[in-house]
Amino acid sequence: MKTQEKDIKKIKKELKESKKGKEDYLAGWKRERADFLNFKKAESERIEKYINIIKDELILDFLPILDNIYLAEKELPKDNNWTKGFLGIKAQIEDFLEKQGVEEIVCLNKHFNPHLHEAVEELKGEKPGLITEVVQKGYTLNNKVIRPAKVKVTK
Amino acid sequence: MSKILGIDLGTTFSAMASMEGGEAKIIENREGARTTPSVVAIGKNKERLVGIPARRQQITNPQNTIYAVKRLIGRRFSDPEVQKDKKLLPYEIRESKDGGVEIKMEDKWLRPAELSAMFLQKLKQDAEEKLGEKIEEAIITCPAYFDDSQRKATKVAGEIAGLKVLRVINEPTAAALAYGLSAKKGQQILVYDFGGGTFDVSILDVTAQTVKVIGTGGDTHLGGEDFDQKVMDWVIEEFKKDQGIDLSSDQMALQRIKEAAEKAKIELSGAKETEINLPFITSDSSGPKHLYLKLTRAKLESLVSEYIERSIDLVKQVLKEAKLEMKDIEEIVLVGGQTRMPKIQEEIKKMFGKEPNKSINPDEVVAIGAAIQGGILKGDTKEVLLLDVTPLSLGIETLGGVNTILISKNTTVPTEKKQIFSTAADSQPSVEIHILQGERPMANDNKTLGRFILDGIAPAPRGVPQIEVSFDIDANGILNVSAKDKGTGKSQSVRIEGSVGISKEEIEKLKKDAQAHASQDAKKRELIEARNQADALIYSTEKTLKDLADKIKEETKKEIQEKIEELKKVKDTENIEEIKQKTKQASEIIQKAGAEIYKKQSDQEKPKE
Repeated sequence: MKTQEKDIKKIKKELKESKKGKEDYLAGWKRERADFLNFKKAESERIEKYINIIKDELILDFLPILDNIYLAEKELPKDNNWTKGFLGIKAQIEDFLEKQGVEEIVCLNKHFNPHLHEAVEELKGEKPGLITEVVQKGYTLNNKVIRPAKVKVTK
Repeated sequence: MSKILGIDLGTTFSAMASMEGGEAKIIENREGARTTPSVVAIGKNKERLVGIPARRQQITNPQNTIYAVKRLIGRRFSDPEVQKDKKLLPYEIRESKDGGVEIKMEDKWLRPAELSAMFLQKLKQDAEEKLGEKIEEAIITCPAYFDDSQRKATKVAGEIAGLKVLRVINEPTAAALAYGLSAKKGQQILVYDFGGGTFDVSILDVTAQTVKVIGTGGDTHLGGEDFDQKVMDWVIEEFKKDQGIDLSSDQMALQRIKEAAEKAKIELSGAKETEINLPFITSDSSGPKHLYLKLTRAKLESLVSEYIERSIDLVKQVLKEAKLEMKDIEEIVLVGGQTRMPKIQEEIKKMFGKEPNKSINPDEVVAIGAAIQGGILKGDTKEVLLLDVTPLSLGIETLGGVNTILISKNTTVPTEKKQIFSTAADSQPSVEIHILQGERPMANDNKTLGRFILDGIAPAPRGVPQIEVSFDIDANGILNVSAKDKGTGKSQSVRIEGSVGISKEEIEKLKKDAQAHASQDAKKRELIEARNQADALIYSTEKTLKDLADKIKEETKKEIQEKIEELKKVKDTENIEEIKQKTKQASEIIQKAGAEIYKKQSDQEKPKE
């Protein structure tokens, strides 16, 4: 009799423990599932973000080519049909960038703002803190600065 | 409980990371960058600027733009290091009442820790914005050579910024932690840290309970920026030689050269040669001038060889001081962006005769390690369930001896993959499932894990029976492979133990094998695929000819048979091109016959008028 009671007690204890174990595992599994679903959601957001980053990078890599086009433009003869054709191509590129959401940061004669501009040299001037020369144009993409304008500023 | 921020507070750049889902992740700053320049400034309009904007206005405001605070923090004013830096720094510093350093910004004299705090505050705010939760605790890293006073000051900086600094840990220790190296007891680790402005070497001794620093050295004024300068100087000199024009006083040209030089240096870590192409760099009376130079990796290496040699000498010196020899170093860890340079990696490898740890982004590895330390303190990492991955791909042999992979390597287990296969011949009564492990495309070149036969497949033309093969690996790495004939429901399976736990050496060997044979294997596979395609075409054509004998014109039939005979002849040769060509020819003529059949059919079905 006594041993039977003992057995039942033991089995009950084991049952209790295994029930608890089962609950722990189930909870852990549910948590894991939830983690996974959350991860999937976060991942799809991340992918979207990465696509934008890739676009940013692509445009950023393209900007030096545009810089060179502007430099070339300065050296070309005026009122020349070759030049006109070249300017047509330049306009196409500018149009393309505009459609992508790229905007030039206007800076000449504006107050220097380190959130938009990067100072490369300081010059004497009448009023301090004004931009007198743009060394390299700056751009925003969808209102975010992707490249600051490199400028010369008055002392 | 809120997250703990791991901060790599650097001399020129800083980075931060935190634990997310059991893994350390870099947190970007508000500007979207993964590292932030360690610069603080009061702008001309009295606005406090931190990070990128602070650096952008440095030229217009050098007295109030404070950088490299790390060189001063916690030091005594009389330190020779401080006296040396005093001459180089454009902002004013003086001795404080207690013998420390004070920095002048605007009209206030501030402690280095206060300035560091302004910077840390931005990092904290940016991290809170990104993570969407308050951050109260942090782990901050510092160089191994930092003394007690420097560590204390670093901690104070964090506390002023509103962070409870749980630990100030050594940068090399954090780097080792990021690679999980601190788990192996009784080993010596050398950390080679070549950053933007400083070079540090540290040797760590991992004992049962602690990670002890047993040697440090380096040069606080040697960094990647020196490499960029060398390239710039070279470009300017080459242009002068070529065109006779000195660009060194032309701000606009200098800006472009600076960018191009850094870009070229970075590109040469991947390529053997790069171009520095700056059209319209300047002009004189004869018209515009263009700068076009080719820079090879070898040239770059010779330009900066003195710096690399110096770093290697410093490594040797630290080893000597620690009374260690090369062979005593079990692991090497590379930190800092400049260590991406292949020449540096080569030199280290040559010196120690082993591969350094370099898989984690060297600009981020210290911050990652700091976040992991945070995770350990919080007990995060203990809870993490360690899941194994399959070290090699698992697949079965299919038609022509090809290894068709079902579970590719590095898949986290437990996992299950299913794929439907079919028979290769008419009325094939059974299929053999030959289970393979390895990366090589041909079955024979891989390891056989087991094989079994599924029989009793109902007679049917080739390609018709659907045999579902499933691979299932449980959490213990036990692989169950089963095959089921979907038609009859008959199935067969086998259980393979130890498919995950292969020795490290064996895995490496197999992977190397696969790499070495890649091109040869690809050819072999292409041949088999071409043969299989030819085979399938011959089969389906002969069947069509038999089934629709009365619907095809005799002459077309003869033409097809000729082409098929030709194909049969070349099919078993090694000549891929010929097999492909004959297959194409045969398939063209068969399509013609197909069109004929349909035309006939539709002619017959046309309603009579």
